[in-house]
Amino acid sequence: MAKVIVKDLHKSYGDNEVLKGLNLEVQDNEVVCMIGPSGSGKSTFLRCLNDLEIPTQGQVVISGYDLSDKGTNINLVRENIGMVFQHFNLFPHLSVLQNITLAPVQLNKESKVEAEKTARDLLATVGLSDKADAMPKSLSGGQKQRVAIARALAMHPSIMLFDEPTSALDPEMVGDVLDVMKKLAAKGMTMIVVTHEMGFAKEVADRVVFMADGLIQESGKPDDLFDHPKSPRLQDFLEKVINV
Amino acid sequence: MKKWQVAIVMLLAALGSWFTVGTQAQAKTYTIATDTTFAPFEFQAKGGKYKGIDIDILNAISKKENINYKLKAISFGAAVQQLSANQVDGVIAGMNITPERKKTFDFSNAYYTSGVVMAVAKDSKIKQFSQLKGKTVALKTGTAGATYAKSIQNKYGFKIKYFNDSNNMYNDVKVGNSAACFEDYPVMSYGIKNGIALKIVSKQYEAGDYGFAVKKGKNAKLLKKFNAGLKAIKADGQYKKIVDKYLHSSESSLTGETASSRTFIGLFTQNLGTIGSGLWMTLELTVISIILATVMGLALGVLGVMPGKVGPAISSTIIYIFRGMPLMVLAFFIYIGFPDLIGHGFKIPAFIAGMITLMLNEGAYTGAFVKGGFQAVDDGQMEAARSLGLPYWTAMRKVIMPQGIRIMIPSFINQFIITLKDTSILSVIGIVELTQTGTLIIARNFEGFKIWLMIAIIYLVIITLLTWLSNWVQRRIN
Ligand SMILES: Nc1ncnc2c1ncn2[C@@H]1O[C@H](COP(=O)(O)OP(=O)(O)OP(=O)(O)O)[C@@H](O)[C@H]1O
Ligand SMILES: [Mg+2]
Repeated sequence: MAKVIVKDLHKSYGDNEVLKGLNLEVQDNEVVCMIGPSGSGKSTFLRCLNDLEIPTQGQVVISGYDLSDKGTNINLVRENIGMVFQHFNLFPHLSVLQNITLAPVQLNKESKVEAEKTARDLLATVGLSDKADAMPKSLSGGQKQRVAIARALAMHPSIMLFDEPTSALDPEMVGDVLDVMKKLAAKGMTMIVVTHEMGFAKEVADRVVFMADGLIQESGKPDDLFDHPKSPRLQDFLEKVINV
Repeated sequence: MKKWQVAIVMLLAALGSWFTVGTQAQAKTYTIATDTTFAPFEFQAKGGKYKGIDIDILNAISKKENINYKLKAISFGAAVQQLSANQVDGVIAGMNITPERKKTFDFSNAYYTSGVVMAVAKDSKIKQFSQLKGKTVALKTGTAGATYAKSIQNKYGFKIKYFNDSNNMYNDVKVGNSAACFEDYPVMSYGIKNGIALKIVSKQYEAGDYGFAVKKGKNAKLLKKFNAGLKAIKADGQYKKIVDKYLHSSESSLTGETASSRTFIGLFTQNLGTIGSGLWMTLELTVISIILATVMGLALGVLGVMPGKVGPAISSTIIYIFRGMPLMVLAFFIYIGFPDLIGHGFKIPAFIAGMITLMLNEGAYTGAFVKGGFQAVDDGQMEAARSLGLPYWTAMRKVIMPQGIRIMIPSFINQFIITLKDTSILSVIGIVELTQTGTLIIARNFEGFKIWLMIAIIYLVIITLLTWLSNWVQRRIN
């Protein structure tokens, strides 16, 4: 069974229907990149996958757990889905190490000692071994985002969601963060990445999904999609992005 | 159980025991209320004991008739209200017997007959009522003087300003804010003899009788005993002795103060004990109220940011009610109104009532800024915490609250200082805290300026210490 199954997903804020019936399946180890114009509902879609937004209609099934089912323990499902935000959302009152160990320790996944060991290993993978005891406000944007990725990984999730992880970063920081994500993809992590980094999508994605007006307009292998866009909307979008 | 849980349980138990003590009818011991500042009928002598014609008469009568009683000195207004609310058994406070009051109270036979006089500043040219036109007249609420002045107000065209306290009224006339005041003759003449810079310029009007009052239809036995005792002490000469003692002597022989004790330092050392106990009461009230208000405020704040509609609605309503109500109204409501509502002789000790009042009022203010502080934490923080799988309450406790509380620290310090100052309002329900201590000392020695200066300095010192402490805590946290 697919790892993520989305069926006929609708989401409205009052009269404003943001998602208008999305269908998507993501397989184990697959990396899916989502692209699309601003306001098309990409973030909303991603947030529906871990119940930060509650869909108005439709079904989301993660690793076999139906989120709309009352019997599903959402906290357990969330442990299995790491999420990385555009603005990092590190906990400013906690050190880097504490940011990473908070959830595993609070949820009794690991003892404090184990959690700290895991955290240091993760910091090494994201290239920030020397920052364990730093406070978030002393870090650069790129460092913050790498800590945020380490924090999400500390719960040993099997799916990672990224919502424009590099768009709040200075250009010279983007590479470090993308490198971490590439390593993750190479290790076989199932990933859904909302991004404007077409280069990353081309290189890493197994599949690219183009969203506009609350619907998936087109999807396919990156080479097909970027080189032979079918819909005028996508042609238009790619032209704008590339010209920027 | 954790330490704080034990503490809460103990606090609740303590509150509970206080209430039950409060509700137990004390067999045959009557509670008799009196005014705090109505020399020579009642005033606090050096060392905090009450003295005066009323007090001595009550004492003499009780000895004759074997009455057990506990004296409760509160403001005149509060005494009358508590009598009608059944919170006390009787009132003796230079209270005029009027047809109006007879509707709610039963009075003893008159134990003193007094008239109302007009007094003005020593250097004032006013001699007649007609000279009051367009000027302001100072009155003390609920007194015969007030009733009389009101009855001639239209005829002479003056404005009226009310005070709760004789000394503030005298002072207003002395400094020239008001042109005159109306006061019972013995009270005024006693005051002048003891240094108030006013003079009496009218004859006595509207002679009125003072009586001891009980609630209508209640305590008939007590009233009967009072009348019998009054007759007896009049017969054996005790009564005359008491009245003469107060009306024909100067204050110093009664309060035990000497002229040398009228310097600032002298007054301070003389009254150290009284001021100290007032200060202690203020601190006690402040500390307990701050703790309770903080707990309540945190609860209201957490409720206010809970998902769903019910929690926030409850929180906003409670904040709306208790923040909108003046502290004094709330104090009266809890101390006098609430027991009246429950009935069955239910009583709340003034200290408990004061504490609850402060908790509700300061707690509502605290709740408002706690809620604001939690809301000021970026939404992304909660989302990040929840996306890691943390349950709502864990996310609240570990992520939102530590950040929110940091934002709130300056507001907390501010609120602590306000709480400290607000304790002074509780003097209206008879709690003898620092401010009330000042009122009481001045009632017997009329040294308004020096005593208020002393009290003001003490408040400033505590507030300074409190601010230092808070800043230290703040530095520790950041
Ligand atoms: N909490 C909310 N309440 C009301 N409207 C919302 C809310 N969140 C999002 N929207 C609306 O939903 C629409 C889609 O927003 P969303 O953030 O999903 O777009 P996006 O594709 O992620 O855009 P961007 O590329 O700018 O991040 C927008 O019109 C937005 O105004
Ligand atoms: Mg977005």
